[in-house]
Amino acid sequence: MSLIQALLIGCVAALTKIEGGWLGEMKLREPIVTGFLVGCILGNVEQGLKIGAQLQLMWMGAVGIGPTAQLDIGTGGTIGVASALMTGTGAETAIMFGVPVAVLMQFCSTLLMTFYSSFMARVDTEIDRENYKAIPLYHYLVGILDFLMYCILTFVVMYWGNTAIEAIVNGLPAWANNGLKAVSVMLPCVGFALLLNIIMEKSLAPYFIIGFIPAAFVGRDLSMIAIVALAFAIAWVIFQLRSTQGVVKASNTTSSDEWED
Amino acid sequence: MASNDVISVKNNITKKDFRSIFWRSFTLLGSMNYERMEALGFLYSILPALKKIYKDDPEGMKAACHRHMAAFNMTVAPSPFVMGITVAMEEMAKEDKNFDVDSINAVKVSLMGPLSGIGDTFFWGIFRILACAIAVGFAQEGNPLAPFILLILFNIPNVLTRLFGLKWGYSNGTQMLTDLQKSGKMQLFTYCAGIVGVASVGCLIAMWAPISCPLVFTISGTEIVLQEYLDQLMPCLLPLVTTLSVFAYLRKGGKVILAICAIVVIGFVLGVLGLIA
Repeated sequence: MSLIQALLIGCVAALTKIEGGWLGEMKLREPIVTGFLVGCILGNVEQGLKIGAQLQLMWMGAVGIGPTAQLDIGTGGTIGVASALMTGTGAETAIMFGVPVAVLMQFCSTLLMTFYSSFMARVDTEIDRENYKAIPLYHYLVGILDFLMYCILTFVVMYWGNTAIEAIVNGLPAWANNGLKAVSVMLPCVGFALLLNIIMEKSLAPYFIIGFIPAAFVGRDLSMIAIVALAFAIAWVIFQLRSTQGVVKASNTTSSDEWED
Repeated sequence: MASNDVISVKNNITKKDFRSIFWRSFTLLGSMNYERMEALGFLYSILPALKKIYKDDPEGMKAACHRHMAAFNMTVAPSPFVMGITVAMEEMAKEDKNFDVDSINAVKVSLMGPLSGIGDTFFWGIFRILACAIAVGFAQEGNPLAPFILLILFNIPNVLTRLFGLKWGYSNGTQMLTDLQKSGKMQLFTYCAGIVGVASVGCLIAMWAPISCPLVFTISGTEIVLQEYLDQLMPCLLPLVTTLSVFAYLRKGGKVILAICAIVVIGFVLGVLGLIA
């Protein structure tokens, strides 16, 4: 890996970090996007996209809700895809490196958010001095620190760690590979469970079955779009009926406290 | 339309200022921290309007800035709606000396919960899932359009919600909100969004968690493929059971990180033993 490539990959990781803060969560962090970008940098777009798709499925439910740090799928995905492309291997390698990185960077983000808290009191003092320029100043400062932090960290891992990554991948026995493959098919379930955890209420259970059964029996031939369109139609009818009646049967036990966790 | 169209005559707040708030709202999470969360980002976003409102009132400006440095946190996409309401209320506060300024933060806080609930359901539960699910199909074929499909599909609702949220929040936000809450339409709306959400998750489990059991027995010369029996019971049984178990664990207050670690360990062991592929 050349110096430039490692630097560019560092920039991709940093971009996924500031995307949440500065670009309105526009989803640059999704592995399909990072897979594409890393693929462009390392000259293998097709493979980058395929590995990205695999990671995407695994992290389909990696949701970021409330003030807690979330699984850092941006940096995890970037380093994961880069490791796989660098060693010429597949999604198993991406998972092997991507998952631990995503978890580690989650802790890193927790530390940073604690550290940034210390800026807040300073902004308060600046407001008392009527120095309103400090508001954008500190706001931007956090972004710049984030960018540098993630860029440098990823660059170091990619530029000086690539021989170690290659050694690990090449030394991987076949049984470990089987294990990683099984992990990759089971991890999407955590994601789906997380999503259910946000949306699910008892009275919604029938609609879950409406989504699952046709897809399970008819399989890939049946487009997901058809099922979702059907669900939209049902939702629309129910909304029209109930809003004219003015009756709300929906039990709303969870929605008020969900955002906190 | 010219960019200097005046929206608020009293304080000379123009379309340009609103455009500025709109763009700044994208940086809401930019200085996320544990103490005040999105407060600095919120203050930064509405700063252009505050500067106009309190142009000749330095004490008022100071108080307003401190007011919006109070902790604030919500899903980012619907946040411009709150910014719109806030600007409208700040204008009222400037005009009416008896206006209870504490009510501004009270409204902000009261909106954090419900709007985050709706925002999470829509943006994390529906828009993100649909955009990703559609893009995955293209990415699996190595089609370079995949990332663009994902970004476009997700960001159309993302940008529109911000744009109209800000406008509606400013012009009739407070009124609209009380109406919605009184009539109970807010819960109904969330509930109906949930229908689409759970149906797509159900569909995704069946289509994109291809857990299968590769075990093959040979009993008295005939080969028995375990997965075929499982399929007769119910296709996609294994992904369904796995998802629902994790879901049950999370609903009981289980930690997400523990669930991930458990699945990684269980999956790895089962994979090594050849029970899952």
